[in-house]
Amino acid sequence: MRFAGVIAWMRLIRLEIARVIRAGGVRVAVLLLLGLGVYAGWQGGQRIQAADAATAVADIAYRDQLAYLASIYPPATEAGELLYYLAFPAPQPQSPLSALASGRAGIETASLRIRLLALEGQLYEHETLNPRLAAAGHLDLGFVLIALLPLFVIAITYDIVSGERERGTWQMARLFARPRRLVAAKVGARMILVAGLVMSLALIGILLAGIDADGRAGWAVALVALHTLFWFALCLGVAGGRRSSTTNAMILVGVWVVFTFLAPAVLSLTNAILHPVPEALELTVRQRQGYHEAWDLPKAATMDGFFEDYPQWSDQTVPEDEFTWAWYYAMNHRGDRAARDASRAYRDILTRRDKWARRWSLLVPPLAAQIALDRLSSTDLGTQLAYQEAVRRYHERLKAHFQPLLFSAAPIAEVDWEQVPAFEPAAPVGAASQAGLPAAAALILISFCVLLPAVRPRPSRDS
Amino acid sequence: MAGLRNTLLVARRQLGAMREDRYILLLLGLVVALGVVSVLGARHHTASETEQRARYQALVDRQWAEQPDRHPHRVIHYGFLVFREEAPLAFFDPGVGTYAGTSLFLEGHRQNSASFGDARHATAMLRFGRLTPAAVLGLLLPLFVVAAGFSSISGERERGTLRLLLAQGATPAQIMAGKALGIGTVAVAAALPIGLITAAFAAIGGDGQPPVTRMLALAATYTAYLAGWVLLTVWVSSRRASSRAALAQLVAIWVALCVAAPRLGASLAAALHPIPSRAQFTARLEEAQRQVGDSHNPDDPFFRALRDEYLARYQVASVEELPINWGGVVSREGEEVTSRIQEEHQLELVAAYRRQDRVMAWLGLLSPYLAGRDLSMAAAGTGPEAVEAFRAQAEAHRYDIIQRLNDLHIHEIKYENDRSQRIARQEWTRFPVFEPSLPSLRLALADRPHSLAALGLWVVLPLAGLGLGRKRLPRVGVDGSGS
Repeated sequence: MRFAGVIAWMRLIRLEIARVIRAGGVRVAVLLLLGLGVYAGWQGGQRIQAADAATAVADIAYRDQLAYLASIYPPATEAGELLYYLAFPAPQPQSPLSALASGRAGIETASLRIRLLALEGQLYEHETLNPRLAAAGHLDLGFVLIALLPLFVIAITYDIVSGERERGTWQMARLFARPRRLVAAKVGARMILVAGLVMSLALIGILLAGIDADGRAGWAVALVALHTLFWFALCLGVAGGRRSSTTNAMILVGVWVVFTFLAPAVLSLTNAILHPVPEALELTVRQRQGYHEAWDLPKAATMDGFFEDYPQWSDQTVPEDEFTWAWYYAMNHRGDRAARDASRAYRDILTRRDKWARRWSLLVPPLAAQIALDRLSSTDLGTQLAYQEAVRRYHERLKAHFQPLLFSAAPIAEVDWEQVPAFEPAAPVGAASQAGLPAAAALILISFCVLLPAVRPRPSRDS
Repeated sequence: MAGLRNTLLVARRQLGAMREDRYILLLLGLVVALGVVSVLGARHHTASETEQRARYQALVDRQWAEQPDRHPHRVIHYGFLVFREEAPLAFFDPGVGTYAGTSLFLEGHRQNSASFGDARHATAMLRFGRLTPAAVLGLLLPLFVVAAGFSSISGERERGTLRLLLAQGATPAQIMAGKALGIGTVAVAAALPIGLITAAFAAIGGDGQPPVTRMLALAATYTAYLAGWVLLTVWVSSRRASSRAALAQLVAIWVALCVAAPRLGASLAAALHPIPSRAQFTARLEEAQRQVGDSHNPDDPFFRALRDEYLARYQVASVEELPINWGGVVSREGEEVTSRIQEEHQLELVAAYRRQDRVMAWLGLLSPYLAGRDLSMAAAGTGPEAVEAFRAQAEAHRYDIIQRLNDLHIHEIKYENDRSQRIARQEWTRFPVFEPSLPSLRLALADRPHSLAALGLWVVLPLAGLGLGRKRLPRVGVDGSGS
């Protein structure tokens, strides 16, 4: 009996899948989504390759520059003079997952090259970016999965009950199965279809974009699945009611617009208004002023500030009446010192923006999923700040390496370029579960909430 | 006369139907509220940004003028900061401004790129779009038009009232015109509040003349854009037997044109015309500059030739005997060469951007949303040309200031004991101030023939479709077509 039930159940689902696919529009939509997915996956792979190429270029350019400088300066030249020009590479490798959610990858460069001069002015370089293309929005696998796939889910589920009722087939269908079981079968069939689609898109990502099947990717797939389930829950919650098909469609498309465009736009604007960033301009102005004032100050005054930050060199002195590179770089440090508070405030405000966005995004399913995906892919604001921190640390290590040579006015010949510290990339921000768990919990919770109207017992379920 | 009366009757009928539909009223309220909120919010945000940049610009100007006596080459490195001013209507449509840098450091020897764009400070939310009046009009209002009008004709057909209307003597053309008029009226009702507050803010906000021509251009753009959506909605509704099918088709069109096309277009443009990464750009620039020579190297061939030329011109044997400061000459000539190379590279990059933009312009023929946005940012003065104009003007200003400083170095500083001399502080106030200007509206529009044509087509095509399809109107759904 039980076995027969399962067989009948599976048959119902199989029939339903065949019926859904037979609809002309559905086939076209599946092909379009797959086509877009293949394209986005391929593009994602290209983007990562381009980023890797930029990383390699930064490294090669550094070596070329060093070779050139070494060729034009006599070996007796003070190292400080050559270091004025030399820009050290600080390339951050791209996470393979960034093919899925490219995030801010196109806005900020992840292969900075920094000189030993004041750092603050060098940290905030933009990537070459055509603002017009950026303003049009970007297409990645995440966009296909988070923004477009829900529309497909809506298109195949908005009329699961109302459609039968309007065609007059509901009464007949009810003869074969209980309404609730019938609806479950219909939804199940559609879920299987969409799961197949998501799986294909995930495979595309792995094959075309070279995404590793690791824990972070696992969380990403889980979030996409939960996000898609949320849309099924919502569709069921709305379509399970007794409204007409057109009303269902309007409500669902309306919710999609609210979740995918309006809520993020409103939250984004609110965030910008709540957390203004005057410090960005403040730190630029301060660093420039702090550095240039030092030219007109006694050299000892500049050195005092420098020794306060680097007591290990406080036994060194520089002559007051002549130019020394040790003083010159200390003066650059004075620029960074002057900008320090503004710079910290700048980072604080961005961290607050990031946190605020992370918290409020949990109310809006597509945002919750997208923001978590960006973090998993290391393409979010937090990661960018972590990269800047890594560059700061690198700058400090370079300083620690070269400053003694500057104090002793060492010539270029004395520098062992192989010993120069290399950049240590920033580690991914937070564990994968830390990024994925809140979003996953929020998605599950919201899914239950929107499903409630469908499972609530109704006095009469016929007609 | 009777034709007009019938048209108006149908329009009134459509308006009445929409007024009784609580969903439509709810949506209308929502769109109007969002429009108002978007104007207020965007205006607040832009105003505070503008105020901030103006404040820092004033600070930088003052710091420049209050410099102590300084050696001119020191001032070349001290440089100058300029902050990009937004166009007066940027609050309505920020255009590409969000993604362009806002502060630019002008110094000798190198062209910096503008940093600290708005997008840098935004979270992942930004990728879903921003709440601006332009986005409400360009993205949401079409969807509202669809919701208000998808059943305009198909609904009459489903209820059997279409045949009644026809039997009462209304021609298909009058019915279509009346429906379009009715839907157009609610579209105007939704759009007008946004337009009015925008106009009010623009009139009281700026310190200069209110940008009337630009506002008229914006009004024309959005009128044509929304008229196209109204006509398309009526057209699709007239061709479908069921409202459900009409709605599905219209939503699919909206998604394709407004959501998918811009992103796909941008991605295609980037793939067709790749641009070098910042790292590549810098590396190429360094390579090119190495070819010219190094002004700090006394044995460099380029600068040796220059020295021989100057020695011959002044008929002296060594640079010490020159009546002018040789160090300043080297600095000026070096600046000229490096600036030329950098500008060449920069213009190459800008040309690559323009190639990408051209792909987008052609795609505008497929997506009126792209075309409408393009014209909207042109009219608001926030298009790519405004960003490029700022860059070019800032570069011209940089070059001017640096060469003035080099001239001071050449003529006012003695070669002997060069670095210990100073220029008196009064000199700094005599430098020109940076006064950027927006590219003219006429030029911005003349540069966009594709988008203008696209918007024209967007109105004409559905109109033609309606005209050609009017004979079939009574038969749709009867002979099995258009289900």
